Amino acid sequence: MSGLSDLRLGFIPLTDCAPLAVAQALGFFEEEGLNVTLEREASWATIRDKVAVGALDGAHMLAPMALAATAAGEGEILAPLALNQNGSAVTVSMALAQAIRAADLQAPSQSSVTAAALAKVVAARRENGQGALTFAVVFPYSMHNYMLRYWLAQAGIDPDRDVRLVVIPPPRMVERMRAGEVDGFCVGAPWNAVAEAEGVGHILVAASQFWPGGPDKVLGVTAGLATHRPDELRACLRAVMRGAAWADEPENRETLIELLARPDRVGAPAAAIARALDGEIVFHRDAAGLPRREHGLWFLSQMTRWGQLGAEHDLQALVDRVYRPDLYREAALSLGPILEPALAFADAAGPAQARLFDGLTFDPQAARAYAASFAIGRTIA
Amino acid sequence: MRVLVIDPDAARAALVAQGLEGVQPLEVRRSAVYDEAEVLAFAPDVVVIAAESPDRDTLDSLRDSSAGHPVVMFVDRSEPGLAEQAVRAGVAAYVVDGLAPNRVRPILDVAMSRFALTQQLRGDLAKAKADLESRKTVERAKGLLMKERGLDEDGAYRLLRKLAMDRGKPIGAVAADLLAFAGVLKGDGQ
Repeated sequence: MSGLSDLRLGFIPLTDCAPLAVAQALGFFEEEGLNVTLEREASWATIRDKVAVGALDGAHMLAPMALAATAAGEGEILAPLALNQNGSAVTVSMALAQAIRAADLQAPSQSSVTAAALAKVVAARRENGQGALTFAVVFPYSMHNYMLRYWLAQAGIDPDRDVRLVVIPPPRMVERMRAGEVDGFCVGAPWNAVAEAEGVGHILVAASQFWPGGPDKVLGVTAGLATHRPDELRACLRAVMRGAAWADEPENRETLIELLARPDRVGAPAAAIARALDGEIVFHRDAAGLPRREHGLWFLSQMTRWGQLGAEHDLQALVDRVYRPDLYREAALSLGPILEPALAFADAAGPAQARLFDGLTFDPQAARAYAASFAIGRTIA
Repeated sequence: MRVLVIDPDAARAALVAQGLEGVQPLEVRRSAVYDEAEVLAFAPDVVVIAAESPDRDTLDSLRDSSAGHPVVMFVDRSEPGLAEQAVRAGVAAYVVDGLAPNRVRPILDVAMSRFALTQQLRGDLAKAKADLESRKTVERAKGLLMKERGLDEDGAYRLLRKLAMDRGKPIGAVAADLLAFAGVLKGDGQ
């Protein structure tokens, strides 16, 4: 008997598993009295199922997945901590990048972030009778799916009609693009950088351009863990917060890259991992770890917009159930000085209204009206 | 019966084929990774996938669409209890622990019938929604006729029904046409 409590946490090989990987490698879990097994999983669906049935106590998770699973009654999953901000990006094949550049030269668009030039390529292909472009995301309930759809639709490209959208797991993205099966994708780090490093793709938009300080992954845990083992959950959150704070520190960068590059973690080249850590992904500072209900409501607004969530759901009640900033604060307060003191108390640590690249603001109080306000959408009455 | 096994290892496909011995006609194919073109061409009745395959997310994303297939997933023996827990919780009915040839057939049968049931329920729900929508349209068209033609409710309904019979179209479709044209006449869509 070690006297430590056992906890099983799952992760997907992506750069943003860093807070968990660091907490494990540096012994933060043990210092908090936990014996954590980190299980590398192959798919988000497996992560969702294992957390839902309690085969895992928690996992690195797509934030909308926790909301979707809870809304569908597939299991009650809580998000007591956000693992990172930013990290995803839209990458297109070299051929498509070239076509976009050519279209943009004819009539330069105002902002480099919009898909306006891509819309011209899509229209030209339609006129020439060429097939629709294929774009890939990693899961239907993901920041990647909503980011790509928002970005396309903002330029007038209907993601369900004007292009073909498919789901491809992150580690397969680059090979599918190389094989010419996908023309573009939205995936998390390090796979965009890997595509660029291998000369297969070109990064068009990073999440930090799409939505500065926008949300990404969360730590999703079973509701049972919060109810029956609150001390262990608090200890776990403390260890992960310490991992996140450590991962943010520039002086730890080299060690972090080395740790993540290991085959049993992300298993990608160090240079590709380094790329998104440089000014893109934030793990802890700027209150990145606080699971903000405004972020959850934005996800719910997009799930509503694209017909994934019917009108019968009370969005505020759902987000209150899943997103638990109270658990984060409680753990943060018990941790002491590692945290910027203001973070633990105020949701006001960041702007309450998100502003995306198109200048539109999101009012979390009016998520449903926001969802219905877009020219392109599939809202279910 | 056409079975697609997605697994880099050939052993599971062999076991599946063995377990389905006697089923006629039978075609078991194996693919190391999910290949959309291949799946479309083969049109399997059921897909068997290793739980440790990342392609599971692609299959999972199709589960609510018409392009979905019944999926059976085999988990490793090193995760005892997961299948039972998953089945009990109704989360992933297709998760099965280990693999003995004599268990293959009933497992695939259950997965297929459960999938068919889900598809039927989804179809029923869509039809119920469409019916409700059609009834609302008919009500609005009736209201329009009552106002524009000075008919009573019964008269408006009879007129709609006659228009439907004359054109050989469902009454909901005629009502929708009527409303659309009325909209155009009022200047909508310009």
